[in-house]
Order: sequence, then C-alpha cells, then structure tokens
Amino acid sequence: MPPSTPRKSTKKADSEDYSPKKSPEKKKVVKKEEKPAGKDIRGFGSQQPTSSSKAVNGTGKKPITIDDSDEEEEEKIEKKPASKGTNSKHFPSASSSKKPITIDSSDSDTPAPPNKNKPPTPKSKSAASTSTSSKRKILIGSEEEEEALEDVKPAKKRQSIGGGLSRPAAKKSAYVDESESESEEEKPKKANNKAKPSAKKEKSVSPMDVDESDESDEDDFIDDDEDDKPYKGKTKAKPKAPPKKTTPAKKPAPPPKASKKEEAKETEPKVEEKKPAPNNNWRAAAAARASGPKNPGSREIPEGAPDCLAGLTFVFTGEMESLSRDDAIELVKRYSGKVTTSPSGKTSFVVVGENAGASKLAAIKQKKIPTLTEDEFFKFIQGREGGQLDEKQLKAKAAEEKKVQQQALEMEKREKEEEKDRKRKEKALEGTGIATKKVAPASSQLWTTRYAPTNLKEICGNKTVVERLGTWLKDWQKNYKSGFKKPGKDGTGIYRAILISGPPGIGKTTSAHLMAKEAGYNPIELNASDARSKKLVENFTNIDNTSLDGFFQGGGIQSTSVADVQVNSRTCLIMDEVDGMSAGDRGGVGALNGLIKKTRIPMILICNDRSSQKMKPLMSTTFNMTFRRPSPAEIRSRIMSILFKEKLKIPANVVDELVKGANSDIRQVLNMLSTFKLSKDQMDFDEGKELIKINEKNTIMTPFTITDKLTGPYAFSKTSKETLSDRMELYFHDFSFVPLFIQEHYLKTQPALANNLSGNEQNLKHLELASKAADSISDGDLVDRMIHGSEQHWSLLPFHAVQSTVKPASLIYGPGRQSGGGGFGSWGPAFPQWLGQNSKQGKLQRQLTDIQIRMRLKVSGGRSEIREQYMPLLASKVIMPLVDRGTDAVEETIEYMDEYYLGKDDWDALVELGVDTMSEGLITKKIPTATKSAFTRQYNKADHPIAFHKGDMFAASKKKIADQGPAPDNEDVFEEDEPVPDEASDKGDNDDEADEINDVSKDKLIKAVKPKGAAAKGKAKGKK
Amino acid sequence: MSLWVDKYRPRSLDELHYHPELSSRLRSLSASGDFPHILFYGPSGAGKKTRIMATLRELYGPGVEKLRIDQRVFVTPSNRKLDVNVVQSNYHIELTPSDVGMYDRVVIQDILKEIAQTQQVDLNAKQRFKVVIINEADALTRDAQAALRRTMEKYMNNMRLILCANSTSKIIAPIRSRCLLVRVAAPTDDEMTKVLQHVAKKERFGLPASASKSILASSQGNLRKALLVFEAMKMQKPDLTGDLEVAKPDWETYCAKIADSILQEQSAQKLLDVRGKIYELLSHCIPPTVVLKTISERIVDKVDDALKPQIVHWAAYYELRMRMGSKKIFHLEAYIAKVMTIYKQFNMIGYTDDYE
Repeated sequence: MPPSTPRKSTKKADSEDYSPKKSPEKKKVVKKEEKPAGKDIRGFGSQQPTSSSKAVNGTGKKPITIDDSDEEEEEKIEKKPASKGTNSKHFPSASSSKKPITIDSSDSDTPAPPNKNKPPTPKSKSAASTSTSSKRKILIGSEEEEEALEDVKPAKKRQSIGGGLSRPAAKKSAYVDESESESEEEKPKKANNKAKPSAKKEKSVSPMDVDESDESDEDDFIDDDEDDKPYKGKTKAKPKAPPKKTTPAKKPAPPPKASKKEEAKETEPKVEEKKPAPNNNWRAAAAARASGPKNPGSREIPEGAPDCLAGLTFVFTGEMESLSRDDAIELVKRYSGKVTTSPSGKTSFVVVGENAGASKLAAIKQKKIPTLTEDEFFKFIQGREGGQLDEKQLKAKAAEEKKVQQQALEMEKREKEEEKDRKRKEKALEGTGIATKKVAPASSQLWTTRYAPTNLKEICGNKTVVERLGTWLKDWQKNYKSGFKKPGKDGTGIYRAILISGPPGIGKTTSAHLMAKEAGYNPIELNASDARSKKLVENFTNIDNTSLDGFFQGGGIQSTSVADVQVNSRTCLIMDEVDGMSAGDRGGVGALNGLIKKTRIPMILICNDRSSQKMKPLMSTTFNMTFRRPSPAEIRSRIMSILFKEKLKIPANVVDELVKGANSDIRQVLNMLSTFKLSKDQMDFDEGKELIKINEKNTIMTPFTITDKLTGPYAFSKTSKETLSDRMELYFHDFSFVPLFIQEHYLKTQPALANNLSGNEQNLKHLELASKAADSISDGDLVDRMIHGSEQHWSLLPFHAVQSTVKPASLIYGPGRQSGGGGFGSWGPAFPQWLGQNSKQGKLQRQLTDIQIRMRLKVSGGRSEIREQYMPLLASKVIMPLVDRGTDAVEETIEYMDEYYLGKDDWDALVELGVDTMSEGLITKKIPTATKSAFTRQYNKADHPIAFHKGDMFAASKKKIADQGPAPDNEDVFEEDEPVPDEASDKGDNDDEADEINDVSKDKLIKAVKPKGAAAKGKAKGKK
Repeated sequence: MSLWVDKYRPRSLDELHYHPELSSRLRSLSASGDFPHILFYGPSGAGKKTRIMATLRELYGPGVEKLRIDQRVFVTPSNRKLDVNVVQSNYHIELTPSDVGMYDRVVIQDILKEIAQTQQVDLNAKQRFKVVIINEADALTRDAQAALRRTMEKYMNNMRLILCANSTSKIIAPIRSRCLLVRVAAPTDDEMTKVLQHVAKKERFGLPASASKSILASSQGNLRKALLVFEAMKMQKPDLTGDLEVAKPDWETYCAKIADSILQEQSAQKLLDVRGKIYELLSHCIPPTVVLKTISERIVDKVDDALKPQIVHWAAYYELRMRMGSKKIFHLEAYIAKVMTIYKQFNMIGYTDDYE
C-alpha cells in the first residue's frame, strides 16, 4: 500500500491564535500612522509642520501620556471587538477558504468521479483498474516487489534504446499502414495490458516510441498475454487498493491508438528480459545495472498530479540511473514533497540508487523505512493522486489558507483607509497653500514599502529578538533613570544602545522602526547615505553641546534640533548600516561609541557583519542582537497573503523555493514577485526556478566549496547536468587557487569510476586514474607556464581550466577517502600544501644562498653543489661533533665555521637544511641544551671573520649605496695601496676591525677592508 | 682546518693534475694578449672554476686571489629590490645572475654595462680588460642571454666574459658563436686516483687501492664529491681498511627510502605519502631533477629488467616537462604515479608496453 503517512503540521495552532486579534491591531496601527513618525530624518523634517504630531514634539512629557492613554484605549477597544472581529471575520473567510480545499479533498476522498472520467479507454475497464492497483501495491515494499521490478526495468531500458535510435523516415509511413491493420488485432489483448501501462505511463507519447512498439509487437505478442495473467491473480488478492486511474485521466488524453501502442511496447520487452534476470535482490539488480550499460537521462521524468507528494518525506541515497540528485530533489519539491538528507523515523520513503551509503542502508533496515528504486519512484509519482492528505494536514492547510486570506483582507482594508486618509489630508491642505510632501498612493508604491510590516505580528521570523527589542525600548526611560545599573530579566537593562546584526533583507531596519514606533518613540534614521564622520556625529547629536543634555534641564529648552529634526526624549536614533561607516566617515565609529556612552535617547545600531574589525569598539557598549534568516515556513504565509491580495497565483511549494533561492531575503522575494507580476498572473514550479536563477546573487565560492563541488561523489556521474563550461566557470571563481586545491585533493578521493571493481583491480584502476589525473595536472602546469611565463598567453586560461582542474576532477571524482583519524583536513579539501612548501623552499633557498656566498671565498661550488656535496661533510664537521661529543666539540666546531666564514645564523640554517636522519627536528633533539647554550656563549665571546657585510647591516646607508651605485674604481685604489697583511697580523686586526665597523658602519670602505683581510688570510694559508 | 677539497685546490695552471693539453692552451691564450670570451662547460666537479681561477691568475698574477664579496642592490622595472652577491677582485667580477630568477636580465644589463663602460684604472694591471665571470650561464633566461649578445661585441675593449655552464644546450647559439668553447671533461678514474693519491700524500697517509676504488664508484667522475667522500671516509675509518661503506648524504638516503616505499606499495595513499616526502626534499633545496634522477636510478636497480626501459623513458619524459613547467612537484608526482601504475600492472597482469 502506498503509505501516506500522516504528519501533523504545527502551523494550525499558530494560525488560530493569530487570526482573532488581527483586526483590532490593525486599527491601532492605522491610528498611529497618522502621526508622522519619520521614517528617516528627511521625511520627518518635511512632515513636521503639517500634522498633529506637533503635540508630541512640542510639549515635553504631556504628549507622552496622551500617547500612552491612546494605546491603552486602543487596547481596550481591541479586546471588545476581538470577539466580534473573529466572528465576523471567521465566517466569511472560513467559507471562502474552504472552497479550494473541498475541491482538493473531493479529489482524494471520492475516488469515484475520476474513475468515471476514465471511460474514454473503453476496453475491459474492470481488468484494467484492478491490475493497476495491484501494480501499485507491488511497487511499494511488498514481497512481490522484486518480480515486478525485474519486469519494469528491462522495459525501460529497451525503450530508451529505441528512443535513442533515429529511425528512417520511411519506416514511419510504413507504420501508418501497419498500425491500422495491427491495431485491430491487438485490441483484445491490449485491453488486458491496459492496466499496467496506465500505471507507469510516464512516457509522453512520441512518434518514435510508437513506431518501435509497432514493430516489436508482432513478435512478442502472445507472450504478453501470458505474462499478464499472474498479475491479475495478485491483483485480486488485494482488491482494496485505491484506483490509480486519476492521473491519466487528468492528463490531456492522448490519441487512444497511440497510447495503446505504447502500452504494447512497454509490455513486450519485459518478456525478453525475464529469463536472464532471476535474481530478485535489488542490490544484485543494481550491480547488474552497473556492469551493463547505463542509461543516463533515459527515463523521462514523470508527470504527476500537482501536490501529489504533499506530506511525504523522501531521502535519496546512492546514484540513480537517469536522474541526478539535484534533479530528484527538485522533482520531489515540485510535487510538494519534502527531502531530507538522512533517513529518520519521519521518512516516508527512501529512494535507493546504486552504491548507496552503507550507513544509510543500515538505518533504513533498522527503521524499516520502505524503499523505492528509481523506477518505482517515478511510478509512484505518476500514479499518486494530488493532494492526498489526511485530515490533520487538510485542516492545517485550511487554517493556513484562511489565515492568508484574512491577512490579505486586512491589508486591503488598511490600504483603503490609508488612501482615504491621504485624500482627506490632501483636500484639507488644498487651499492652505502649505506645501506637503506628496505621499504616493499605495498602488504606485513598491511592494516592499507597501507591504512593509506595520505591527509586530507581521514581522517574519526573529520573533523573540524583536520582542526583546521592544521591551528594551519600553524599559529604556526607566533604565535611564536608574543609571543603567539593573540588567533586568534579559540582561538588556544595562545597555544604552542595541546593535542589531544580520544578513540583508530580513527586516532589521523595518523591525527597528516598527518597535521604536510601537514603544512610542520617534525613530530618526541615519544611514550610509548620510555623512557620519566623527565631526558630524558629534555635531549633529551635540554631545559636547547642551542639546541632548540640556533637554531635561529646566523648562526652557525642551528640545534640540539635529539635522533639522527635533530631538526630544521620545526620539530614538537608528543608525543603519553602521559597518558602512568607512573611509569617508573617518572616526565615525569611535564618535558613535562616545555618543552611546552619553546618550539620553535609545540608540539602535544596525549592521550586517558584527564580527568585523570596525565593530570592535561597539562590542562592549551595545547589546548584541542577532537577526537570523527566517525559514521559508515563517515567510510563506506572509508572502502568500500578499500574493493573494495581488491576485498572483503561486503554489506554496514554489513560494518556498523562491524564498530558499533568495536566501530568505524577503525584500528580494518581494521585488522578484512584483516584477513577475507585470508579465504574468501565475507561476509554476519551473518558472519559479527560472526566476531564482535570474535573480541569483553572484557569489564567489571559496576554493574549498569549488573543490568539493568538482570532485564530489556524483560530480561527473552520468546523470549530472553540468556542462563543461559550467565546470570551467567554477575554475574561474578563483583561477589561481582552484588548480592548487585540485592538485592537493585529487589523491584523496575514492574514484567513482573504479567503483564497479573491487580488491586489487580497483586499486589498479584507481592508480591508473590518479596517474592520468596527475598527467593532466602536469599538462596544466605547462600551460600555466605559458600563461605566466614570458609569453603571457592569457588566452590559454580556459585550456588551463580544463587541464588543471576539470579533467583531473572528471577522472577522480568520488567520495572523499578518510585519510586516517578525524583530525583537521581528514574531511573535505585541505588547503594546498604547495603554498607553504613553496615559501619554505624560498626561505631555505635564501639561507642556502647566504651560506654559499660566505663559503664562496673558499669554495668553488654553486648553491646546489654546496647543498648536495659539501653539506653532508660539513655537517659531520660542525654539527655532528656537537651531537656526539657535546660541549667538548664547541671549540673545534667554531674553528671550522670561522674557516668558512659561517656565522651562528648559518649554523642554524645548516641544521635546518638537513633531511632524513639529519632533519632539523632530530638533530636539535639530539644536541643537549647545555651544549647549545655553551656553543652560543662561546661563539659570542670571540669575534669572527666575516666574508662580507650584507646590505641590511647598514640599514641607514643602504639606500645611499643603492643610489650612488657601486664605485669600483675608488675602492680599487684603496685596495691596491693596502699591503696584504700576513696571517699573524690579520688575526689581531680582526678584533679591531669588528669594533670599527660598528662605529663607522656608514663608511663603505671599511666594509670592503674586512673581507679582503679575511680573504688574504685564507689565501695565505692556502699558499702554505 | 679547511676541508681537503679546498685546501689542495690547485691555484695555477701548472698545478692542475689533468687535462694538460687544456692547461697549455689556456696558458698560451692568456699570454697572447688577445684573450677571447670563453665558455667553460662540463659536468659538475670537473674543475671548471678551478681552471677559470687559474687562468685569471695566469692573466693578472696573484692579485686576482684577493677576493671580496659585495652585495649589490638592483631595482627592477617593477620597483622590486634585488640583492645580488658579487665576488670580485681588482681585475675581475663574478656573479650568479640566476640567483634572482627571472630578473637576471636586469642584473646582466646593469652590471655588465657598468663594468664595460669603465676602463681598467690600475696602471699596473697586466691586461687592459677586466673579466666578468658568469656562473650558471645555462640557467640564464633567454632574455638575459639576449642582453649579453651586443654587449659582448661592443665592449670587447674593456671586458672579457667567461661563462661557466654545465651544458651548452641551453645557451643560445649567438652567444655560443661569440665564445671560445672550452669543454672541461670529468676526470677519468686514473686521473682521479692520481689526485686522491696526491692528497693522501700531502696529508701523510697511504691510500689503499680498495678505498680509492669505492670512492671512485660513489663519486661518478665528480672530483669534488670524491674528495669530500674521501675526507668523510677518513674521518669515519682512519685506517681506511675493511668494509668501506661510503656514507651516503642525507638526501640520497631519503630518496632511496622514497624509491623503496614506491616499490613496496602502489596506491593513491602511498602516492600521497610520497608527495609529502618529495615536498620535504624540494623544500630543503634538493633540486627536483636530482630527486627524479636519484629515485629513478634506485627504482631501475630494483625492478625487473623488462620494466627498466619504460621507467627510464618516463623519467626522461617527466624531466623534460619539469624543465618546461614551473611547479616541479606536479611533474614529479605524475612520474611517480606513472611508475606505480606500471609496476602494479606488471605485477598483476604482466608486462604491457606502455610508452603512450
């Protein structure tokens, strides 16, 4: 049986709670709206003189009390009409909302009518319907499943092959004749078959298919009948299955002849395949499929009734034959189903593909979740009726719809009132000559302004946070009087300001305004479009002046003006886009912070990224309030009611997709919809997808996610829809890093291409793939050289994309291989080692160059010769003695080092350069600390010959040297005159010279003397 | 206390132990007064630089041995500062432009012009020209080599070039044609034995034939290496008898370990391990070609004869790519992946002819 598991939606309760209060609240809001609560300063300023709000601003506390009383009154009123409102509202809306549902339910509850619709296919009604239902049963988890499976699959395969072949046109004409004569013969038998095809009639009828079916029919004709018999028997055994004919009936009826032929075709290949496939295990079937030819995209995606998967939860595991994972998920969503990633108790079905994850299979077994194969899944969709919901779901749905409509009505009402009000005002002012800012009628406003939430209930998501904001604002004056000492219940009491952070488009600013108004404040907004440098912030809020401070003192000055806006105790400052206070707003954040510490009005700061460096100073002075993206469920009803009002017909699942596609950015969804409205009045799933795609924000992915995407388990599977250019696009997200990431990662997967093998063969295949991938990466490097080398062939970049990234990924894609332990980097792409290793190489190379140039006076070899040939022996002379003999060897070591002009730094570098048994870690461990310090002490005690002075030793004079360039002649003269000192005198000189150099280090000549002396010394020795 | 290799380095042409005909040619060249540009080439450790210095001594007298080192700063067109170490005497200057990688052209242009445009000031100098020695000339970029061309002709009056390279193949033809090519071949075994005996005599001990044989075997015609090994051996076993296992340098043993682990197991995981080890070698300044060569030799030693040609073939193939490309590890890794595949295939299926 198709288990349509009942799920209770929690929404029901919510919606019932809210619905009664709606109308009074709206009234209240409307009333308040009359006060020109400035949305931002500019608007505020201009409205100021015109309206009743003067009372509020002008006379200190009095207006406040009035305000309060107003509210109270309203609340009272609220209560009274509440019951009335509910009743009256409830009634019409309930009746109206029921309508669509009844239509739905009639579909599911009364199976008779659709059955009656069926008659167009006249032959053997009863046989047909029963066998269909049996088929259905078989599909879902019963023991007979396997048999049915074997039948169905081959049928599909055959068909797809047929579909792939392009038949000569001549055949078609032949077919016309044939079919006519044949069809008559077939009729009786087809009647029998009828049922089955109708159940799996996912194929749209194409001439090609028909053609093939005709031909093959002739051979397998008789077998067909026989095959069908056993099914009939089964069917009878379970007669209670609901008839599944509704789906075909709803579809535009295909010409009867064609459909029949299709049926015939589908039944026919079954027979052929039955014999070779006796194994009934689905795993075996999967294995068989894996070895045989796969048919990516072979199956046509079935068309089901709208909402036919509503209330069901699916889990996909493994790789399906013709559908990619994304497509499958989309398919479920299209029919209002839910998809989760791992099976749980709530899962209705698991669709199992090839190479399913072992853990998932175990979970399935344990929880006894029914499984489906791809074919079964398709048939399930196709066969299932739309809107098969149980009572609770229906109720929930009804409630939701009711709510939506109610909200829509409210909106309309409010709009009308506003319009009226606006007109009234206009009229009133007409003759007075007072210039007013014209408020645009609602119909010409943007949806985002028009449907901006006007009360707390209308804010989507973040309810608790918003409420907390409200209480903070209400308690602000109290807290102010107590000097912000009492933290209060939620700890907000000690803050003068609140910092709201969160992604764009989720209603931060709106909430701030709304709550400020609701708490009886006049919000003043300053955002990034206002200059907010230190000076300005200080000025226009006048912390240094008396404005804010003076307000409460004495009765004289009761308010001050900021940027042409009156500020008084009932003003709330909203600083929007605080993180946008950048270069132009020098010192802005600091000044703001200063302001916060002294402020006498509540301040709400809003930013996107709380963790940015700029926000640091605000951390301690503000209460942090993070707004999260509301879930699609939280936004849905609001959007739906707007849509209802706008008479735009979009099903709930499409709305969900839109919301998800826009990352819960309500503003973006509304904007998308309002533009969509211009062209169309309804939207289906595909249009929704398209709309999302068009409006997709262009995000730059990180190399980590790109690598994941490129080498993921199904990245290049046959069902993947991505094209070469899509993948190259990924490379171009970050073309300098992605190749490195791929190179780092390509050995860390278990290639899917080697999955059908096992044991040693798999290993070999894996190696072959890795080798090919490595070759491709190597090719990529050659291309890279042409791009970045002297030739600069940047036009080769796409080629590089293929060679360095796409091709290797295509070879080794597959699930990641756990590389031991659960430590860092054991999961997912790691950061490329190459970068670190390269810079390490560069560093050691520099050190080696240093060593080489010092030794150069004695040694003829270049860098690599020093490293490869000298170093081992040198190590045994200057490093190993310290290891073996400890402190005793220090003298000897230093002697050798002096001989080659090596300093202590060079000694360290020598140690660092070792590998294997000479690696730095090993050696430093082996040398006792005492020896090391003795060595350092001893070395520092004496002066040592130096081959030359590095440029940076004369930091001050360096530039000068560089500028004037070398002056060889001058030096030469000097050198020539100086007698070559003999060894004895040279030794004595060394000390003096070292000191001298420190004193007169700016003199270039001194520098030259030194090495010469040293060289001479070496020479003298050599000559001996 | 110098190492023997430096202690007993010949200083004049007369002291050189082998290639006497070359020595006499150089002597007559320096006496002729028409000293040409010279390109010395030959394998590492054959005595190129020793001969260059000896020639210079012949030209200028012992004054050239008063070496000093200077660090010069160059500014590239992109305003990057480069430090170049320059070794010079009064009569010559020696530089290794390849130290600065792709900016070597700047160094060549600046230094050469500067030297070429100034005349020899020292009136006592035997020659009117100065000598510029360019080390690792085969590592010069094409641009840098091109920059040499005209200078070599134009400033012939003031300056002679001595290029020092391992092979002429990477030196562009115009340069080669402007130079006198002098090949310094690696010494033969006899010649090397002679040198070893000479050193042993100076150090006052006898060198047994067995010892000199094992030294020659491990040094492969590289006299510098031979002398260093000799000294190491003497240090290890002062009597130079018995089992003379020549201590391999650290990187060579490491390469051997890598090769062994390749043959021990062939899998992607192993390749990953090997990658780590190769990184270790490369970052510690072992040139990638040396790594490739050492590992390949070790593998060739150990595998079945049938596989040897293939392994050598691929080693050559990837070495070329390594030189053409920029990220050496990519090619090394591809080579090892290839070797692993071939070897595993051979073990599982048998010999397959895979030269692509």
